[in-house]
Amino acid sequence: MTAAPFTPRLGRFCYLALNVAVVVFLLAPIAIVFVFALNPTPYIQFPPVGVSLRWFEKFFASRDFMNALRLSLEVAVMTTIAATLFGASAALALARGGLPGTRVITAIMLSPLMLPAILTGLALFQSYVLLDVGRPLWGLVLGHTLVSIPYVVRTTLAVLQNFDTRLEEAAGNLGAGPLRTYFEVTLPLTKPGVMAGAVFAFIVSFDQFPVSLFLVSPGRETLPITLFNYLKFDLDGTIGAASAVSILLAVLVVLGLDRTVGLRSYAKL
Amino acid sequence: MTKSRPPLSRRQFLATSAAAGIGVIAAPHIAHADAATLRITGWGGKWGQTMSNELIPAFEKEFKCKVETDSAFPYLPKLQASSRSAPVYDVLHTNSNEQWAALEMGIVEAKIDARQVPNIADVYPYAVSDKMVGVCIFTSAIGLGMRTDKGYGKVSSWKDLWDRAYDGVRGGYVIPVNSLGQAFLMMSGALFGKGMTDLDAAYAAMEKLKPIKLVDFTGTMEKMILSGEVGVAVIHDSGILRYDGQNQPTTFVAPSEGVLSLEQVLTLTPGTKVRELANAYVNYMLSPSVQKTLAESVWYSPANSKVKLDDKYNEKLLTTPEKVATLIQPDWKWYNARKDEIDSRVNRIFRA
Repeated sequence: MTAAPFTPRLGRFCYLALNVAVVVFLLAPIAIVFVFALNPTPYIQFPPVGVSLRWFEKFFASRDFMNALRLSLEVAVMTTIAATLFGASAALALARGGLPGTRVITAIMLSPLMLPAILTGLALFQSYVLLDVGRPLWGLVLGHTLVSIPYVVRTTLAVLQNFDTRLEEAAGNLGAGPLRTYFEVTLPLTKPGVMAGAVFAFIVSFDQFPVSLFLVSPGRETLPITLFNYLKFDLDGTIGAASAVSILLAVLVVLGLDRTVGLRSYAKL
Repeated sequence: MTKSRPPLSRRQFLATSAAAGIGVIAAPHIAHADAATLRITGWGGKWGQTMSNELIPAFEKEFKCKVETDSAFPYLPKLQASSRSAPVYDVLHTNSNEQWAALEMGIVEAKIDARQVPNIADVYPYAVSDKMVGVCIFTSAIGLGMRTDKGYGKVSSWKDLWDRAYDGVRGGYVIPVNSLGQAFLMMSGALFGKGMTDLDAAYAAMEKLKPIKLVDFTGTMEKMILSGEVGVAVIHDSGILRYDGQNQPTTFVAPSEGVLSLEQVLTLTPGTKVRELANAYVNYMLSPSVQKTLAESVWYSPANSKVKLDDKYNEKLLTTPEKVATLIQPDWKWYNARKDEIDSRVNRIFRA
């Protein structure tokens, strides 16, 4: 009796099937969103009865949705900048600073991930009320930054842990000062981690719901909050159109990053 | 001869920057300091559009104030988290069940002062009954919504919902999170037991209601009826009537035992700093012109008995004392006191 000759092919087939299943599992919800957005009926219908852009028209014509989209983008950009600056600096200090209690500080930096975000939002809301500052835009950005920093810290630390410090020593030996060494050696080599963290920060902020729930001010709401309020009263294809636009925006951000800094470096993380 | 200015020291630079920063943060507050601001809550959807496009600007113009409407749920935790002496809202607009919960927390006032709100004199008695905190400005009738194109039999009673013919196309709500579901649970106690507080009868009725499709929001139920996914369901009349004229194969049935009341209620917060303006707003919302505009915009029945609606609306909404008499008001104070126990029980029933 001989071993079955099809085993390697069967193994490859199973491997391929598993990959296809995972991809389908990941993409199916996105496909359904697009089907819902393009379906002319005011309710989810499968199979779709036609193709229409009426929900996209409604979405782009809505002042509320457009204001919400603009605000979400503004907040996401501000959050990305703030979280990247703070997170990357904190990661560097944690990895290199020789600080006492590094593990405790790292745990504290990552703690917003452990806490339900809705509690973070409520706690910040109470703080703002106590400080009598209302619900300002910077308060919303601060909330988003708080929950985004752990992603930047984590991805930057991952790169710093594999960082060859002899390169920095070599730069110093060749006459470069600490700042020049940082900008010309440390930063370029940690860029994959920092940029991956920045992408996470943008996405976390743009999709942020629980923190925003308490921190958006009346008449100035982010897209996820506007969508939630809308679907309580009007569940139609506009929700699908808004979701489709959000997905496309996320894809555009990723493609933009790929064109500017390259995505291959993220794949190593 | 000119004197040269001394260079800006680091300390001066930091102090100037800090002052500029504080100025930027405080600027919006200073800019609006001269106009009184009324902070209210409100719904989204068509209600929100009518309010923000038409009614709020008119109120702001008339009372020379600014109105800030928070339409992002949840309202109660935000109000609860804010100081009693400086609440985040001056007027809370929400449904009756939440108003009772808010009263229990001490974050809203039990009644509106009728001397400060003259239009209260014209509301139907239910709008200020002992089942009500504050004042009801509109109500919807909770009954049964159904498809007219599926060959279903005639439906006239709440009990028809238990007909086995509707297995697979029956619709209801996730009771812990939806007040229509909660009111319907109480109604089941009245239908099959000793009254609306007969929970044992209500639980037994819920068991027999399965299989049933449950949703969180009434908006979702509307679409399920429109798509035909659900054939008969608990819903408020506005959820069906708002599609009037669109040729949809749906209808609202007011059951013979009476319709449940889904009230839109306004209350004042105890710590409001603009009490006069808050009372003026409640009075405005009860005025016949505002009541007519909103009633015809969102198909809610006006609480003011003096409102004259166009025939189309008059025919279908609760606009006469006789029609208003069919309203059944749930006892939300009683319900809220038992909510945890009820939530736990109904979750077990529908999970099984």
